[in-house]
Amino acid sequence: MSEKSSTLGKVISLTGESVLALLLSTTLLLACAQIFMRTVTGGSLLWIDPLLRYLVLWSGLFGAVMATFKNKHIALDIASFILPDSSKNIVELIVLFFATLTAITLTWAATSFILSEIEYGGLGLFNLPTYIWNLVFPVTFAVMSVTYFFQSIQCSIRLFSKQQTKVEG
Amino acid sequence: MTILKGLTLLLALLRAPLFLVISALALLSFYSAEIDLSVVIIEMSRLAETPVLVSLPLFIFAGSLLSESGAPNRMLTFSRIFLGWMPGGMAVITLVVCAIFTAFTGASGVTIFALGGLLLPALLKDGYTDKFSTGLITSSGSLGLLFPPSLPIILYGVVAETRIDHLFIAGILPGLLMLVLLIGYSISQSPKGQQRIIYSTKEKLAGLKEIGWELPLPFIIIGGIYGGFFVPSEAAAITALYVLIVEVFILRDIPLKKVPSIMTQSMVLYGGILVILAASMASTNYLVDQEVPTRLFEFINTYIDSKYTFLLLLNIFLLIVGAMLDIFSALVLVVPLILPIAEGYNVDPIHLGIIFLTNLQIGYCTPPVGLNLFLASYRFNKPIVELYHATLPYLGLLLITLVIITYCPWLSTFLISMWG
Repeated sequence: MSEKSSTLGKVISLTGESVLALLLSTTLLLACAQIFMRTVTGGSLLWIDPLLRYLVLWSGLFGAVMATFKNKHIALDIASFILPDSSKNIVELIVLFFATLTAITLTWAATSFILSEIEYGGLGLFNLPTYIWNLVFPVTFAVMSVTYFFQSIQCSIRLFSKQQTKVEG
Repeated sequence: MTILKGLTLLLALLRAPLFLVISALALLSFYSAEIDLSVVIIEMSRLAETPVLVSLPLFIFAGSLLSESGAPNRMLTFSRIFLGWMPGGMAVITLVVCAIFTAFTGASGVTIFALGGLLLPALLKDGYTDKFSTGLITSSGSLGLLFPPSLPIILYGVVAETRIDHLFIAGILPGLLMLVLLIGYSISQSPKGQQRIIYSTKEKLAGLKEIGWELPLPFIIIGGIYGGFFVPSEAAAITALYVLIVEVFILRDIPLKKVPSIMTQSMVLYGGILVILAASMASTNYLVDQEVPTRLFEFINTYIDSKYTFLLLLNIFLLIVGAMLDIFSALVLVVPLILPIAEGYNVDPIHLGIIFLTNLQIGYCTPPVGLNLFLASYRFNKPIVELYHATLPYLGLLLITLVIITYCPWLSTFLISMWG
């Protein structure tokens, strides 16, 4: 079971790494191509700048998903200085429940935004409907919700098994 | 609803991701005002209208590549050769190298980790006391934050909707003032009878050759922007491409197969900043909608009518914020609230930006919870209280520069009037 979950973890991590590397490389290449074209030909491709702006948003949100996997979000860690070691696991669980709930609400808000974009939004870059460019919001928030949900379950299991060991001990 | 908001704020102290805390507060506020929650995402999506944002991931990537390469070592060797002759040579080298390194890598604490291990033994070997050396490195860990292309400057520009090219040059004189004061103090504290090594021309040429590929970087960025060749976001693209080619293909410091993981590492940091920025767009919209900055200004204006008293109180407030919050969260949360109030007191937004960043930089080494103190305590395996004492003289000097920067606005605006 643990072997399976570690393989799954590796697959997710590798996929995430590839997506982020692809997004950043494309951003870098397009930004440089724009400068090159302006310097050499004196003109530029009008679609590059808006595409770059979307790429930057997409790479940031996918980067945030990766930060959720790796538990690397910016946070204040005052708890570890003021709380006793014994209460740290329970605090972690409360924080993870809060994170799951907030991420789910954000997913719901993003879905509602996309639905109204489908109904009222016009056409955007490359004549694609604007909602396509904003799909990144529900997708990334949904992945974050699932991640936080699984982290909450893992934390609960850890907490439960610790207490079980204490009782048995 | 107030209880829920209070509980959410409490969770912020317990290691809840800040972007979720800010998002939850925005969601609760809009919900209580009976406004559809999709407005939170509409505000977040406005980030795609910010052209200068593209410079953030690219500068972060360039900084990550530099810190993973042999550049810190080469910078140290180069500075040793060209600054080693000075009285207090090693201390001066520490200050200059840390300032340049922080400007390129942001203020994420990487300076203390990447350079601390190299600089501390070198300082001790040169006869500096342990207290002086750890204090110097801890305080220098965020020095250079006012120099281009520092990430907090870019983030301030994005949040305050102020010209980044102006902010880049506005920070130069205040940053130099800080550097000069700290150098002066370090020279006065240098051990007596210190042996000064004079390097031969051949050795100098060798040192120059070694750093030859990295040396043009500041000139590419500053020269490129102020020579009118490119805008800050394009400078970021050129810098990232240049560093990638130099460190991976020319110097081969970083194997090609390691690049994707460095890209991921940069994007994780960038993603962490972007979601805080996105969440704060939503919370700021609510605050502006409720006219909170205007009411705050009216309230403060009833008690304080002098611009100088306002600036004094602002500094005290920002020093506390800087010691409690990391620089990126502090910027996106506080700037939208303070900017309209400061404008009410006729404080120039560029000058305000430099005051902000100086305070937040000092906050990094302000007891009890300044980030640099924790990083240095971990890196040098020393009790944090020992570092409180070690950083005190530097903290005093940095506070003097803060007063000068605050009350001499021309220091921040002079270069803009020359080149802006």
